[in-house]
Amino acid sequence: RKFTDKHEWISVENGIGTVGISNFAQEALGDVVYCSLPEIGTKLNKDDEFGALESVKAASELYSPLTGEVTDINAALADNPGLVNKSCYQDGWLIKMTVEKPAELDELMSEDAYEKYIKSIED
Amino acid sequence: MVLQSSFKSCLPLSCLLRAPRAGFGGAASGGLIIQSLSNDVYQNLAVEDWIHDHMNLENRQVLFLWRNSPAVVIGRHQNPWQECNLQLMRQKNIKLARRRSGGGTVYHDLGNINLTFFTTRKKYERMENLKLVVKALKALRPQLDIHVTDRYDIVLDGQYKISGTAAKLGRTTAYHHCTLLCNANKAVLSSVLKSPYKGLKSNATPSVPASVKNLFEEDPGLTCEMLLDAVAEEYAMQHGIDHHITLINPTDETVLPGINDKSKELQTWEWVYGKTPKFSVSTCFNMVYKDSVLDVKVDMDVKHGRIEACDIDLPQEWLPPALCRELVKSLTGSKFCPNETTALSSILLRTCPQDYELHSKWNLLCENMTALM
Repeated sequence: RKFTDKHEWISVENGIGTVGISNFAQEALGDVVYCSLPEIGTKLNKDDEFGALESVKAASELYSPLTGEVTDINAALADNPGLVNKSCYQDGWLIKMTVEKPAELDELMSEDAYEKYIKSIED
Repeated sequence: MVLQSSFKSCLPLSCLLRAPRAGFGGAASGGLIIQSLSNDVYQNLAVEDWIHDHMNLENRQVLFLWRNSPAVVIGRHQNPWQECNLQLMRQKNIKLARRRSGGGTVYHDLGNINLTFFTTRKKYERMENLKLVVKALKALRPQLDIHVTDRYDIVLDGQYKISGTAAKLGRTTAYHHCTLLCNANKAVLSSVLKSPYKGLKSNATPSVPASVKNLFEEDPGLTCEMLLDAVAEEYAMQHGIDHHITLINPTDETVLPGINDKSKELQTWEWVYGKTPKFSVSTCFNMVYKDSVLDVKVDMDVKHGRIEACDIDLPQEWLPPALCRELVKSLTGSKFCPNETTALSSILLRTCPQDYELHSKWNLLCENMTALM
């Protein structure tokens, strides 16, 4: 699993990346009440806004960690947006996408690097 | 606009983007207070977008003051059919806008003031902002019984909502905006914020209704100008800046390059209605025709504001079945919109013989259909 500095994660398997938000992000957001996700087939560039999560705290934009095309969205979130809080790394995944430029993965943080990153910004 | 005691000036915002306020070299307490010269809800929302996208708020936070002529503003993920009386709004020429922040539906008119607090994402702090507002109001009128709730509302006399809050977190910046009722038209507010539409099922974020009151009712001497000024004064004090308000014209491309495209986008049907989360309508209505009462059952699925699927259950043979099938076919894929429905039903009617009875029945059905939208 790799992380962005915007607290999204992506996990690639068989050329398909699953995207979600980190535990740090879901805690900071508070209870998610609505997930706005893109249509399947949407083409995204790295750092493009692909949707938003609305929580009691605010409407918060989501940014694509990589360049690729959306192949699937988590339909369970429509009726159960709280899954993002309860299970941000498993059942609360947001979208799945193709990985058009695998080199972009190298630009993302490893789990260790991400842990260090969040410690540094918490100060 | 009447200019009051605070010093106001018009300056290119681009100048203020680059040069920090003199005398406060890079301190995090820097700030800028701007006020819109426009009362157009779309232009003002566009200013928020522009500041959010273009301004660097590391060393300087921004307070934006604005008022709108009558408009209903829904939250980013809301369903306008669930939240307000669109027919009444059309009659009264009250605009509908969808903002980019979350939260619920509010009514704006010139008796309501809007405050937007821009900060970096890190410095985002709604409670602090609202405490600032309460402090400002109490400095103006110490006897006011107001406090901030844990829902980030400001409540008067322990029971009346005078302010609601919403917010947006972006890449590097954040904003928190809130309303403040000074002297808004409560009768219009109540009537437009009551939805007449039945049978709607949706996972859109709902509003939390509240009893409201105007500050003017507590003290008839209060005006919007006074409230704006009081908040600006408190903000200036807390940020260590001059009580100086910069006026901006939200249509001026030299000050805000690209602003007009932003306000145009906020006015598109695709944004205002098309962004409505998927919903279904399952309802029935009665039609009185000559001596009989007819029950009609309608089921529709609406996605991106367009009718994805449609079923109209009418008494058999009341209208030619082929015509009804054509209506359903035409509605599928069209906007969930009274104008569009009226247009396509007129087109279909022209394919029919000039039969008075057929035409009256058709018009009756179509009037009832458009009333659902």
